[in-house]
Amino acid sequence: MTRSMKGLVKALALGLAAACSLAAVSGATAEELSLKGKRIGVSAIGTDHYWDLMAFKGIQDRVKELGGEVIALDAGRKDQQQIAQLQTLIAQKPDAIIEQLGNLEVLNPWLQKIRDAGIPLFTVDTATPHAINNTTSNNYNIGAEIALQMVADMGGKGNVLVFNGFYSVPVCKIRYDQLKYVLTSFPDVKIVEPELRDVIPNTVQSAYSNVTDMLTKSPEKGSIGAVWACWDVPQIGATQAVEAAGRNEVKTYGIDGSPEVIKMVMDPKSSAGAVAAQQPYEIGKTSVDNAAKYLAGQKVPPFTFVPSVLINKENAAEKGKPFLDAAEKAGVK
Amino acid sequence: MSATVFHAEVGVSDEKQAAAKSARRRFGALVVRLGAIAAFAAIMAYFVIFAPGFTSTFNLINVVEQSAILGVLAYGMTAVIIGGGSNVTEGGIDLSIAANMGLCAAVYATLLSMGYGDFLSVIAAIAVGMAVGALNAVAVVGLGILPLLATLAVLNVAAGMELTLTQNTVVGASSPLLGLLVSGSFLGISALAWALIVFSAIMIVVVHGTSFGLRLYAVGGHPEAARAAGISVPFYVSFTYVLSGFCAAVASILTVSRLSASTPGSGELLLSVLAAALLGTVFSRRFVPTMGGTLLSVLFIGLLANGFQLLNVSSYWVNGVQGALILLVVAITSFARGSEGSR
Repeated sequence: MTRSMKGLVKALALGLAAACSLAAVSGATAEELSLKGKRIGVSAIGTDHYWDLMAFKGIQDRVKELGGEVIALDAGRKDQQQIAQLQTLIAQKPDAIIEQLGNLEVLNPWLQKIRDAGIPLFTVDTATPHAINNTTSNNYNIGAEIALQMVADMGGKGNVLVFNGFYSVPVCKIRYDQLKYVLTSFPDVKIVEPELRDVIPNTVQSAYSNVTDMLTKSPEKGSIGAVWACWDVPQIGATQAVEAAGRNEVKTYGIDGSPEVIKMVMDPKSSAGAVAAQQPYEIGKTSVDNAAKYLAGQKVPPFTFVPSVLINKENAAEKGKPFLDAAEKAGVK
Repeated sequence: MSATVFHAEVGVSDEKQAAAKSARRRFGALVVRLGAIAAFAAIMAYFVIFAPGFTSTFNLINVVEQSAILGVLAYGMTAVIIGGGSNVTEGGIDLSIAANMGLCAAVYATLLSMGYGDFLSVIAAIAVGMAVGALNAVAVVGLGILPLLATLAVLNVAAGMELTLTQNTVVGASSPLLGLLVSGSFLGISALAWALIVFSAIMIVVVHGTSFGLRLYAVGGHPEAARAAGISVPFYVSFTYVLSGFCAAVASILTVSRLSASTPGSGELLLSVLAAALLGTVFSRRFVPTMGGTLLSVLFIGLLANGFQLLNVSSYWVNGVQGALILLVVAITSFARGSEGSR
């Protein structure tokens, strides 16, 4: 063995040892995480959707697991109420605040106030400069993956109905922008203008009637190839509308992975083409871990990505099941 | 009209019986009314003792600030109920007020984002609010449609126009006026809280301190008598709907300042506005809506949400308690009015 090779081996061994010890250290701290005696404020814009409820639940469960006290606030989809809750929460001076989704334009000044009051702020699925850490899925990936799946299923050409009602919600902005970016490489795939608006509440009914109207407007088979939405509740309405109209050539695409949508994608006869399934419960839990680490004086990265899985017609049977099991385990439909 | 005919036909002995009955009712109502006020007081006392930080000045100012938008809207609703009479099915009611606020907020934010200044945008928002109010007035006074139905229809018109304008999206807005409302403060009280204080003072003085207000009550309480006394009933009733539209416009500016944007979903406030205006009646001996009573119930609703949060009780309870209180108050009011209410 030459000297340089010896050196290399030594370096590798050292590196390996260092990696092991690092792993051991981070493993140990993960176990030692504690929120004993800490009060954590949690503010969610609403919990009427599967994703929201799972993340909200994940946060609360994890805070309790770590021995902390939760102040859990659900604004019931009312911006006014969320602002009032945040204002009162600031006065309550919790040890940290975790904020989950909402309109960034409305929230940002108030998130700033949280930081001004010296309260560490963590967010779930909400990219804002005021948060110490944002825990979310890699929406850049998700957006590109679901767009590419759609383009592939369409054979690289055709018209897409796009729901774009929530561009003010950061994750939807990313996914929509990624869709647009992917489509720059496929000029034969065109978004039908004007775009559709998804709404809350009555998301499913409204998506159903929107898509039905558009299909009536373009009655020739093949004139519409796909329906895209930045989440999967409009996808439910869209899929039902496509099937009711007998236009099975149209496939639907969405993001989140609500159990009923995963089941649709698993059903070979359903028009649901694919869904990017996230792990909202894990996302909620991970954000709490980040808060706990920060409060214990550890360094926390500005964002944490929790893995997501693209479930399509080919892999649905295998990839879908763990998500359905997780939903069942958490006791949320 | 039918009521006067009915009263004229009632016999003398019937009247005596009715008087005795109504006296009993009145006593019963008094007991229940005081009970309701005691319940309010008890809830507040509980918060004062058990909710940490409840009585701090900072927290109380927060609550006043949080109540400003609801308060301004509730004054509009109260004026309509005073002028139209407080019979829940046939009397004055403005179901469009929250949707109107949403429309005004959309107009205001859209104009600001298009680069028009505060002056023009505020004038436009107020003009739109009052126009929607005038539409209500035409439907109720001009066409004689039941206020409940007329304003329900206008609610849909306003909500539809808001959707058309904003495409159901969030319209961000910033301006010097909004900046002042958000961060301005005087004597340690924030601008938004001042807005409620000043607006309340004006409403209380106008409705309870002037002959105009007295005539308004006459119009709502006894339209026939008011007409006989030479008061123009249609004018007063129309005025209340336009005033309600004005309140919606003022509230819209406060909303945009608080949310830094106009957002969909303003219609959700309607239930709280109705609750505030109806709950306010328990603070009046004759169970009529008053501006002071409305102010108290607006603050009560605000304190309820605040106290629950400080006690770490789920916010889901607030809706339930609010609903239960409305039921209680409506029950008391119809109980107190007795035969008059069930005509």
